[in-house]
Amino acid sequence: MSLRNRIALYYTVATAFLILLVFTAIYFTVDRVVYKHFDDKLSKEVSETLSYANMTAHDFKGFSQFLESDINDNHNEDTQDDQDEGKHSHNDKKEKKADVDPEFIQIVNSSGEVVIKSANLNLNTLVLEPGRRGTSYFNSHVDNSPVRQVQVSLLSRDGLTRGYLLVAVPVKSAIIVLRDLQEIFFISFPLIILTLFVLTRLIAGRSIRPIEKVIATAEKMSQTNLDQRIPLPYHHDELYRLSATMNALLDRIQDAFQREKHFTADASHELKTPIAVVKGTLEVLVRRPRDRDHYESKIQFCLKELSRMAHMIDQLLMLARYESSKIKPHIQTVALPQHIDDLVERMLPSALAKGISIAAHHTENARIAADPGMLDMMFENILSNAIKYSPSGSSIAIVAECTATAVVCSISDQGIGIPEEKRSAVFERFYRVDESRNSNTGGLGLGLSIVKKLADLQQIKVSVTSATNSGTTFTLTCPHAGESCVMAEPN
Amino acid sequence: MRLLIIEDEPGIAGFLKDGLEEEYFAVDIAYDGKSGLDLALTNEYDLLIVDWMIPALSGIEVCRQVRKAGSLVPILFLTAKDTLEDVVFGLDAGANDYIKKPFEFEELLARIRVQLRAKNKADDSLSAGSLSINPATHQVFAGLNEITLTPKEFALLEYLIRNKDRVCTRSRIIEHVWDIHFDSDTSVIDVYITFLRRKLEAAGCGNLIQTIRGVGYIVRQPSMV
Repeated sequence: MSLRNRIALYYTVATAFLILLVFTAIYFTVDRVVYKHFDDKLSKEVSETLSYANMTAHDFKGFSQFLESDINDNHNEDTQDDQDEGKHSHNDKKEKKADVDPEFIQIVNSSGEVVIKSANLNLNTLVLEPGRRGTSYFNSHVDNSPVRQVQVSLLSRDGLTRGYLLVAVPVKSAIIVLRDLQEIFFISFPLIILTLFVLTRLIAGRSIRPIEKVIATAEKMSQTNLDQRIPLPYHHDELYRLSATMNALLDRIQDAFQREKHFTADASHELKTPIAVVKGTLEVLVRRPRDRDHYESKIQFCLKELSRMAHMIDQLLMLARYESSKIKPHIQTVALPQHIDDLVERMLPSALAKGISIAAHHTENARIAADPGMLDMMFENILSNAIKYSPSGSSIAIVAECTATAVVCSISDQGIGIPEEKRSAVFERFYRVDESRNSNTGGLGLGLSIVKKLADLQQIKVSVTSATNSGTTFTLTCPHAGESCVMAEPN
Repeated sequence: MRLLIIEDEPGIAGFLKDGLEEEYFAVDIAYDGKSGLDLALTNEYDLLIVDWMIPALSGIEVCRQVRKAGSLVPILFLTAKDTLEDVVFGLDAGANDYIKKPFEFEELLARIRVQLRAKNKADDSLSAGSLSINPATHQVFAGLNEITLTPKEFALLEYLIRNKDRVCTRSRIIEHVWDIHFDSDTSVIDVYITFLRRKLEAAGCGNLIQTIRGVGYIVRQPSMV
């Protein structure tokens, strides 16, 4: 079932239940009010009849005399109207009431025979229900027309039932009103429900139309047209937020997709180029016989290419392993100055070979929480980059300082620098500032993305500042190893 | 036949130059798109081999600019980009053929020959009178007798026969047979023409190459009388 129909159905069912409840309550309230009114009237009539006969329900004596006069009165009232008013002036109040609503009165003895009844009953009698004791009200019929009737047991002094007083009033008009009310309910209820369902369905349809738009746009989307976006609705409501959220999601997907595509193209270029070089060189080499020196130089060249490729595959695999997050860093306390000294010792030969000096300044005994192996790899990558892009005769400075919250280590070179617009991209895989992508510098564009990945794993922040042709500074902000920095002896 | 290779990877450019020169081509190399385009527009090449991802100006852009300048020189795309979209995009940009890296050198040679093949000809063989040459094997036959030529002699003869019945000016001969590092002393052409004539004479195909005084040389299809 569509959302639209479901909304309409739920809403209609709930409303139908409520309406039914309200209708039922109204009907029964009216019903009760109407019958209460009749019952009040009957009870008044009973008490008036009894008091007029100057007796109580417990004293049956003299009742027949009363009945004669009273019922004749009633008869006169009905037939002669107000012309005979003087004749029964003993009870004005009673007469007035009789004018409005004729009531039937009947007295039955204990064996169920009619002792006397009012003349307006004609040949009909009021129904006696012998099982009822005391005073009870119920619905009954006289000559097929509905009446409300009261039955009062007439007792003798010794408490025996000697007969019954039955008083009834016609309730036909009230029954008609109640039936009309019922009819109105039964007819209007399904109409209301039907109208409501149609209306709700219409409104629901209108209000979910923007969702249809979202669906239509999303359906049209594929990896070839990821630049499409869902049109934002006019009102800033939930659907607007849904559309905006979906668009933001699409932005991220497109971005990731682009990056992945870029990476695949770069990786394929970087991997295929050395293969093409080696393959082509060897193919040309074997086409005809050559002298020994020629063979040797070409083989050396191929070996160099192969080792470059092996190095790149290593780095790619490493990156892939780190990115799959299967490797967790073994965080421990690392004495940063000691670490840096070891590193400098290792890297110094290659730096000196290029005529570059490395100086480490660390006046404070900084201890950080890191994985020593990963830290090594990060420093090595940054430092070898610094050596690669620095001119001969320049120097590289490594500075480790303690701050209140972290240990800040910076590695500065005096190399060619990174243009500002390219600074944010240096951590991307295969990114090289020099766009030619050739192997002159021997770089692969993977080193710094490894640095970033390792830093992320160890909660180390990496940032880069640079000025073209005056050098680059990489800053690592490492977490403390629990204890605060201890001042070290000056070297 | 003179080729221009626009390729930023020195390893690839290096072996291409070595291998193609052994195949008697005159080869120039440009390591970026900009200088490659300059060379392509200022010199007359018989074929361009262009890498897609090169600095300064992409291979695609070089291709477009060359076509925009009205040149119909065959262009071979040489690239690691290998998706269908890339191939279609490259060919639509004006390239004549597309070779994916890594590639077989022999295949490259064959594709170069296809691009140099004269129109409406089923194979690569070239002939003039009783003389026929096979650019794939670098063999020259006078009737059934093979004539042995040096690479330069062969290249010169090939160029003349490819342009037979047309006058080849000395400067065009220099442009198409020698590479850019050759200083423009055109008297070297006369030396090679003399060698060629001597060898052809010995094989019974003398008088094939005629001198147009002050202009250059021409190979005429002898009338079949």
